[in-house]
Amino acid sequence: MSISRRDFVASVGAMGLASSLPRIALAQTENIKIGWLVAMTGPSSAPAAGFDRGVRFAANAINAAGGVGGRKIEIITRDTQGDPTKAVNATQELISQAKVHAIWGPTNSGESLAVTPIMAKAKMPNIHPCVVDTLIDTKKYPNAFRITPSNTQWDDAVRHYCLKIMKLKKIAVIGDTTGYGVSAVNASVAAFKKEGAEVTYQANIDSTQSDLTPDMLRAKNSGAEVIVVWSVSTGMYSRMFNTRAKMNWDVAFVGHPSVSSGEIAPLLDKPDNWAKVYAIGYKSCSYDAAGNLPPATQAFVSNLLKANVKLDDTLLWWVACGVDAIDLIAKAVGASGSTKPEGIVAYWNSIKGYPGYFGTYNYSLDQHNGYLTSEIVMSEARSAKNGTFALAPGY
Amino acid sequence: MFASILAAGLAAGAIYALVGITYNTMYSTSRVMSFTAGQLGMLGGVFGSYFILKLGLPIIVGFLATLVCCAIIGFITEIVAVRPVLKSLDQHLYVLSTLALALMIQQVTAIEWGTEPRPFPKLVGWGEGVWDEKFWIPVVACALTIIGLEFLYRRTLVGRAFVAVAEDNFAAQALGLPERGLRVASYMLAAVVGGIAGFSGGELLLAFFANGALLNFYGFVPVALGGLGNNRGAVIGGLILGLFQQAANFLVGGIFASVAVFTLFIVVLLAAPQGLFGSAVARRV
Repeated sequence: MSISRRDFVASVGAMGLASSLPRIALAQTENIKIGWLVAMTGPSSAPAAGFDRGVRFAANAINAAGGVGGRKIEIITRDTQGDPTKAVNATQELISQAKVHAIWGPTNSGESLAVTPIMAKAKMPNIHPCVVDTLIDTKKYPNAFRITPSNTQWDDAVRHYCLKIMKLKKIAVIGDTTGYGVSAVNASVAAFKKEGAEVTYQANIDSTQSDLTPDMLRAKNSGAEVIVVWSVSTGMYSRMFNTRAKMNWDVAFVGHPSVSSGEIAPLLDKPDNWAKVYAIGYKSCSYDAAGNLPPATQAFVSNLLKANVKLDDTLLWWVACGVDAIDLIAKAVGASGSTKPEGIVAYWNSIKGYPGYFGTYNYSLDQHNGYLTSEIVMSEARSAKNGTFALAPGY
Repeated sequence: MFASILAAGLAAGAIYALVGITYNTMYSTSRVMSFTAGQLGMLGGVFGSYFILKLGLPIIVGFLATLVCCAIIGFITEIVAVRPVLKSLDQHLYVLSTLALALMIQQVTAIEWGTEPRPFPKLVGWGEGVWDEKFWIPVVACALTIIGLEFLYRRTLVGRAFVAVAEDNFAAQALGLPERGLRVASYMLAAVVGGIAGFSGGELLLAFFANGALLNFYGFVPVALGGLGNNRGAVIGGLILGLFQQAANFLVGGIFASVAVFTLFIVVLLAAPQGLFGSAVARRV
C-alpha cells in the first residue's frame, strides 16, 4: 500500500486533533484550583480562622449551586506560619506543582512582600488582604489586587474621624518601635500636618516598656486632645489605657484595629479603662445605636449562622473578606469563560461597584486598591458582638 | 515624677538584678555565660500566670510549681547546652549552645502560650499609685533572694562547696567535692532565681513570651556593670540601670531612652572594663 504525502499530512493532523480533544474537554471540566496561602499557625495567625471559614463557606456555596459552568471550586490550602520563607516555598509549589489558577493570600504583609514578585513573574492572578501600600503597583505587579484598605486609606479614615467628626485639632501620634510603627507614625504625622492639624506629641515606644507614665504625661502636657495609635501590640495598648485611667485623663484613643483586640480585656485594671477607644472598622461590619447591622450584612450573617459558621471568636470582616475573595475568583472564571490568568485579571480590571459582603470593590487597569475609603469607619473598641462592632460616636 | 521614677525604676532594676544574679550563679560553677537567664525570667511570669490564673492553683502552690519548673529547665540547660561544650570553653561554643536553647525556649513558649501578653494575677492586693504591689514586690523579692543566697553561701556546707568550686574547681575536685553535681545544682539554683525574677515582676512585665529577649539583654547589663561573678555588683548595677532607664524615659523618652542606657553602658565599660565592682584579673606570664 502506498501513502501519498497528502494522506500522511491529513492523518497526522487528525491524530493531533484527536489527542488534543480530551485536553480541551478536561480543561472545561477540571476543578477551579484556588491556592490559599494563610498563616494558620504561628505569631500572626489570629485572622486565619475567620478568613478560612469565609473561604470554605463560599466554596461550599458555589459548589452546592453546581459550581462555575459545571466546574467545582477546589481550595488548596498552605499554612505559611507567618514566615516569609515558608510563604515563598508554598507559592512556588502552588504555581509549579499544584498548578492553581489563582491565589488568595497571603494574609500578612511580610509574607506578601516576599511572594508578590514571584506571583507577578508567573502571571498568577492574586487577591490579598495586606495593607502595606507598596504591595500594589499596577506596573510591577499587574496581577495583584488588594481586597482590603491600604495603610494610607486607614490613615485617611483616622484623620477624617479626628479632624472632621470629632473636630479636634491637637493630636498626639504614638506607635511602637517596629518598622511598621515607625513608618506609620511618620506618615500619620505628615498627613495631619498637611491638613493643618497641630501634632503636639509624636513618639515611638518599645512595646515591652513596662511603665508608660512618662510618655502619657508628655502627651498630656503637650495639650493633646486625642491620641492616634499605630501598633499591633496589645500589651502596650493595655498599659496605655490603664495609665490614662490612673492619670484621670479622659482623652480618646483612635487608630489601628488592634485596639479592639479581645486580648486587651484581661490585661486591663478595670473594664472601663477601655472606654473612649475607637478602632478602625468597616461600615459593612458595624452595628448602629439600635444594634442593627446593615440589611445586606444581616442577611449574610443569617446565612453564615444557618451554615453553622462560628462568629463569636473571630471578626465578621475576616469571614466576609474570605467569601468575597473566592466569589471574585469564581466570577472572573465565569465571566471570562476560562481559568486563563489573562481572562481573570481582565475581568477584575473591569470591576465597577462590585457589591461584596465586606465592601464595594472598584478596580481598573491602573488602580488595584479596590476598597472604598468611604466605607472605613471608626468603631467602639470594646463593643465586639459576634465579630461586629458598634459605630463610634459621630456616625 | 520623682516618686514615679523611683518606684518604677527600682522595680525594673530589681528584676534586672535578679536576672544578673542568674547569669552569675550559672557562671560561677561553669565559667559559662548562659543566655537562658532571661528566658528563665520570662518563664517565671508565664508559669506563674499558667498555674494561678489558668489552672486556678493557690498563689503559694503556683509559686512553688513555677520554681520547680524553672529548676527543671535549669537542669536541662546544664545537660543539653553547657556540659557538652565545657571541654572547649576557649572556643566559646557555649554562646551558640545556650543561645540556641534560649531561642528554643522562646519559640516553644510562643507556640504553646501564645504571642500576645497575658495577665498575671494580683499576688497580695496591697498598695496604690507608686506603692502599687507591682513596684514593691520585685524589690522585696530581690532583697529576700540576696539574703537567702548570702545565708546559703556563708552558713551551709553546700553553699561553701559552691563557693569552693567557683573559686577553683580543680582544687575543689582534688578535695573530693562532686564538681559535676554541684554544677548541676548551681544551674537549678540559678533557674530558681530567674523564676523568682519573672514571678515577682509578672504584674509589671505581664506573662509575655517576648520578655525573654528583653531580660536577657537588660539582665546582662548589671553583670557587665557590676563585674562578672559579683552578685553585689549585679544588684547595685541592676538598680542603677533601672533608675537610669526610668529617668531617661521621663526626660528623653521612647527610643532615646534606650540609646541613653546603652551609651552609659559603653562609657562605664570603657572606663572600667572589669565592671564597677570587679577586680582586674592577674594573668600569669
